[in-house]
Amino acid sequence: MSTKKTLVIALTLIILISIRFISSQGETSYCCEKTTYGAWCQNEPVEKCDTGFRKAPTSCEATAYCKKGTCYNSIDGVCLPNVPEKVCQDSDGIWKDTKPEDIPQCQLGCCLIGEQAAFVTQTKCKSLAGLYGLEISYRTDIQNEVECIMSASPDVKGACVIDNGLERTCKFLAKKECQALQTNNEGAGGFFGFGNNESETEIEFHEGYLCTSETLTTNCAPTEKTTCVEGKDEVYFVDSCGNLANIYDAVKINDPAYWDKIVGYDKTCTLSYNQNGQPTNSRVCGNCDYYSGSTCKSAGRSDNPEYGNNICKYLGCEYDTDGNGKIDNDEKYNHGETWCADSKGTSQIVVNSLEDHTPLSKTYEKTSENIPGSRYFRMVCYNNEVSIEPCADFRQEICMQSEVNGFSTAACKVNMWQDCVAQDNEDDCTNIDKRDCKWIKKVTNVKILGISGQIESEISEKCVPNYAPGFDFWQEGDAQGICALANAQCQVKYEKKLGGSWECVDNCECLKGGVDWEGNKIEFCQSLGDCGFKTNYLGDDGYNTQFDGFAGKSWTE
Amino acid sequence: MGKKREDSFFSKNHRAQVTIFIIVAIVIVALGILIYLLYPKIESSLGGGEENPQTFMQNCLEENIAETVGILSSQGGSMNPENYFLYNNEKIEYLCYTNENYKTCIIQQPAIKKHIEKEIENAIKEESIVCFNDMKESYQNRGYEVQLSSGQTKVELLPKRIVTTFSSTLTLRKTNTERYEEFVIVLNNNLYELTSITESILDWEASYGDAETTTYMNYYHDLKVEKLKQTDGTKIYILTDRNSGNKFQFATRSVAWPAGY
Repeated sequence: MSTKKTLVIALTLIILISIRFISSQGETSYCCEKTTYGAWCQNEPVEKCDTGFRKAPTSCEATAYCKKGTCYNSIDGVCLPNVPEKVCQDSDGIWKDTKPEDIPQCQLGCCLIGEQAAFVTQTKCKSLAGLYGLEISYRTDIQNEVECIMSASPDVKGACVIDNGLERTCKFLAKKECQALQTNNEGAGGFFGFGNNESETEIEFHEGYLCTSETLTTNCAPTEKTTCVEGKDEVYFVDSCGNLANIYDAVKINDPAYWDKIVGYDKTCTLSYNQNGQPTNSRVCGNCDYYSGSTCKSAGRSDNPEYGNNICKYLGCEYDTDGNGKIDNDEKYNHGETWCADSKGTSQIVVNSLEDHTPLSKTYEKTSENIPGSRYFRMVCYNNEVSIEPCADFRQEICMQSEVNGFSTAACKVNMWQDCVAQDNEDDCTNIDKRDCKWIKKVTNVKILGISGQIESEISEKCVPNYAPGFDFWQEGDAQGICALANAQCQVKYEKKLGGSWECVDNCECLKGGVDWEGNKIEFCQSLGDCGFKTNYLGDDGYNTQFDGFAGKSWTE
Repeated sequence: MGKKREDSFFSKNHRAQVTIFIIVAIVIVALGILIYLLYPKIESSLGGGEENPQTFMQNCLEENIAETVGILSSQGGSMNPENYFLYNNEKIEYLCYTNENYKTCIIQQPAIKKHIEKEIENAIKEESIVCFNDMKESYQNRGYEVQLSSGQTKVELLPKRIVTTFSSTLTLRKTNTERYEEFVIVLNNNLYELTSITESILDWEASYGDAETTTYMNYYHDLKVEKLKQTDGTKIYILTDRNSGNKFQFATRSVAWPAGY
């Protein structure tokens, strides 16, 4: 591409952006502390400022009253950035003119509460301790959320045997809970209310034992009942006293050893999954795992577990992505999978990974892709339910998908098309870290009248958006200006020799309608966005036809 | 012939008996239905199942609180949203907002829990006065001497519940004296958990302009997070507790991308 033309296009772009910026600046010249529509600290025309609040003819960033800072709540320990001072004070917060990471009270650490963990501020940790009535341990040495959650350790549990002389019963409790019972019992002089106030009650804790252990000789016996536990994924056996036992394993229901001591989830049955991610042996095994795609739920009529009424339910999804009315094999998704919807008029973009945007495959940009009205959508499968997340409208975001071992992950990513036409070399144009553009190579020898008014060689290589953006062309906006970048003129020269007729001698390619020069122009025009003649995503034609793309042909003799 | 007549007589008699049984059965069923429908009235007129003041207030206000919480949950935490996005005919308050493009949003409600507590408190004020008066009247009708002095109302969003405490004092005198100094109404609801997630999403929106929904669903197994981007750059977040069905939805507008430049 000639330097001159690139410069002209770049200047045009700058002018376009500046016009929008200047016009918007001209309108939003006041910083309203509160607007008439109830928003705090917005740059708006003066008539939109609430008269009961402050306003100044400047940007909010330049005012003291709308300066953004961090709002810290000293009661529940929540720190939020980008809060104006007045808004913070109105909510009884403490405002600091700095970022949260510079405020000691906003530093995050690992809050270990009971068997749970949360990566929060120390104040929040204390607040949680109060709310849940649990002891906490706050660790500042753990500096990321994953490590924090991994460091949560379960309480030591076991059989808390309660013997009141007449009956020897049991509760499956954490050691601390049993100790609390022991303390209360001692406080009550050994006559703690377990049914009989006449005789002395003894409470013992047997770490790692189940209430059904034969060695404990309690009145709790194994049953065929199962249950789901809040906060846990697995199905558990329940004993006759209602206590939890080990993970449901139908094979071991009559094994006294399985009802004796706590068995870890790695030493019991393994839930296996088929290639579609569905559990295959959930009728006999309750070792569900949320991250593998199953969790404990009440059994349905068709589930038919060997024992009990609970089962490891499949959390994956089925979705008729192509809309053909049936579920094909590739329309079964694992729990946690995300993928790009097969939405009308968009490209299917598969990349190496969501961090590395190198496209592995992409259907070639045709006029049927990225057309007016089309939009990208991300599909999310969690808990046996598919939800649809629209990406930003006007194809300002595109959906990208990557796949590892059949597990797909998708994300809505900003479509960086804005400076494509200003790129004058292929390397800059196709730099996927900076922009989403493509380099079109076309070889013609056409001489044209450039935007500068000079006759110059036709540039056959162009950088255009890889995914044509959408415009609000039905109203005043950027569409007309951007599409005008594709305007061009071709000067054709005819010669008439003595006694002969007019013959084309120069730039004759321009006359080959729809093929070379014209074809290139149309492709360039359409690649810029919702420009030129197109059909919309519903298949309806626009008001332009292919030949309307030309302003006209004039003849000067 | 005589036998035949006797048979006929017994047959008629038998049929009459059956008819009587059917009528009696219908009457019993009808009475049962009537008793079932009128039971609360019968119970109160007979003085049976007498509610204590605490239960009276719980029964009287629980529905109102639940309704208020439902409205607040669908409107981003405000009974009368000022700066809102109209979605499915619901006014959803912007909790983080900027009218400009490409810029991160400005937090509009930094203490969402406290704000909701205040909103509930204000919304139930009138109804609570009505309930206290009804309770007073109900006990007076039953021959009690009633003394009621109203105090402060406190609403707290707590894990898995919303607790409303009225520090009003009620003294009932009949054969003996009963004194109640506090009325606590508990509504099982996960708004505390949902607003905690909201705070985290707002932090991301204000800092980076977006929040990833799957992160939350990975950590919280019973949580569903939906993000619905609108044409003007607004995002509607819908948080749902899959177990209880409790929802909280709010709007943000941050790092919006307009059509064109």
